[in-house]
Amino acid sequence: MTTIQPTHRRGATRLTDAGRDIATMLWRDTIRTARQPEMLVFAVVMGVFFLVLFNYVFGGAIGAGAEVDYLQFLVPGVFVITALQGAQQSSMGLATDLAEGVTDRFRSLPMSQVAVIAGRTLADAFRNLVGLALVALLALVMGYRFDSATGAVAAILLATAVGFGFSWLGAAIAAKVRQPDMVGMLSMFWLFPLMLASTAFAPADSMPGWLQPFATYQPISVASDAVRGLCDGALDTGDLVLAVGWTVGLLAVFAPLSIRIYTETD
Amino acid sequence: MANALAKRFGEVVAVDDVSFTVGASEVLGLLGPNGAGKTTVVRMLTTLSSIDSGSASIAGHDVADDPDAVRRVIGLAGQSAAVDEKLSARENLELFARLYKLAKPIRRRRIADLIERFDMGEFADRPASTYSGGQRRRLDIVAALVAEPLALFLDEPTTGLDPRSRAEVWDAVRSLANEGTSILLTTQYLDEADQLADQILVIDKGRTVATGTPESLKRDVGRDVLEVSLLTDDDLQSARRLLASEEGVSIDPEDCRIDFSITGGTRQSLDVLRRLEDQAVNISDFQLRRPTLDDVFLALTGSSADEPEEISR
Ligand SMILES: Nc1ncnc2c1ncn2[C@@H]1O[C@H](COP(=O)(O)OP(=O)(O)OP(=O)(O)O)[C@@H](O)[C@H]1O
Ligand SMILES: [Mg+2]
Repeated sequence: MTTIQPTHRRGATRLTDAGRDIATMLWRDTIRTARQPEMLVFAVVMGVFFLVLFNYVFGGAIGAGAEVDYLQFLVPGVFVITALQGAQQSSMGLATDLAEGVTDRFRSLPMSQVAVIAGRTLADAFRNLVGLALVALLALVMGYRFDSATGAVAAILLATAVGFGFSWLGAAIAAKVRQPDMVGMLSMFWLFPLMLASTAFAPADSMPGWLQPFATYQPISVASDAVRGLCDGALDTGDLVLAVGWTVGLLAVFAPLSIRIYTETD
Repeated sequence: MANALAKRFGEVVAVDDVSFTVGASEVLGLLGPNGAGKTTVVRMLTTLSSIDSGSASIAGHDVADDPDAVRRVIGLAGQSAAVDEKLSARENLELFARLYKLAKPIRRRRIADLIERFDMGEFADRPASTYSGGQRRRLDIVAALVAEPLALFLDEPTTGLDPRSRAEVWDAVRSLANEGTSILLTTQYLDEADQLADQILVIDKGRTVATGTPESLKRDVGRDVLEVSLLTDDDLQSARRLLASEEGVSIDPEDCRIDFSITGGTRQSLDVLRRLEDQAVNISDFQLRRPTLDDVFLALTGSSADEPEEISR
């Protein structure tokens, strides 16, 4: 019998191996997405939903009296929300893998265990880019105007980056909970308050005073403000620093944590 | 290979001091009832669970110290299928082959071979979520073979399979062992261990209760039992007198039945029946009961070995 027994790998080879594993996991994800095109639909449905609903249903009320057109305010916030929603798929996907047991095989394979999660979060980031481009198209059709094309691209990239940070948080929760339906329930608890008490849909000064400090500095708000700045060509550097800071912070905490929880043996 | 393995989950001692060695081309059958600790042993050896105490090595690599090296030489088909339900069998195998870093030409050839050899062509290209239980099981076992492992772990590989699929798995295990693979197989079926294993390790409540070859184990603990039902009480009494000198006889007056532990095969059974027949003892019925796992366990765990009545329960 011919035995495949690769020689010991160290350092650089180990890194390229991790890269190959991530590429493999991304390949797996493309097949899964192709098999369930509804995954792509889910990636944009929330964005479309908020865009249409808030603009046509609440737009009149919320925008009334403001000097700017509400759609101009809304679209950047919707980008951030769309990216966040898309990032939830990492969480669900990992929980499904854990529940179905395929992670047991991954853990018995000579592969980078980081790739199991990184493959997912990166796949979500790519899906988010596509989803955000679609939402941007819809916004344009609805009459939204970007300040510049560069600004639009930068805005979409920043929203995707923030979503990427959050998908590691989702992965950590999934690695702990392991049940897709529980993960879905839990996301209602942290994601919705964070989404609604943010500057994604309304400016902070329209909120009750006690809520304003939170609503100004929480990650979804600073991300919305920064993305809005990029879209409008009126970027406040402070917003950008905060948004990037939050993203880096999320990654720094939840990337190692999710991998620790995932690789923890019982 | 494994030395004094132990594992506890909180208060539950899942595995307690289990040791064994499996050589190349050898099949070890790990036998035990539900909750015995079989899966826990497999999970510890395949790096999925940590080892609380004791040690294990596979192909010279220590399981706790160098899990990566171990993962390169093992194949695992766990108790429940571990495949991607959305992917087809071919795609699943491709996925695992890529993760083993097999080069593309090797990958292609290997996967085509496996699909052909295990007769999966018919369903290889539709998603695993559409498979029958047996088909999924087969994919799971084949997935463990992608990188031609030196050591193969099969946790209850035939549970839930129909007789034909079971026979196919048995054939596969035999030929893999012939090719030099060391195999650890857990099962609840004595006949399966009997068919496949060179060595059997019986565990119960995490402890080793017996080890040996299938032959020695059956000889020692799970004898064939000849159950002879007699027509009347008188017949029972004469049978008892007649066979008083024999070992392993137990009487069940309520059912008017006499049970013999048979060690000498068919010949001994015939001999017993012939002696009863010669003395004109009226036999209403008889049957030869092969040892079941139940018998082995009752015999191995506790006083039942000294109380043959228990064996004929
Ligand atoms: N993660 C866990 N947490 C707590 N207890 C566990 C865990 N895994 C296994 N156990 C316990 O350890 C014991 C051995 O379980 P194990 O799964 O190894 O049995 P088994 O021999 O494979 O049984 P079966 O034939 O039912 O598959 C059982 O009492 C089980 O409840
Ligand atoms: Mg088990």
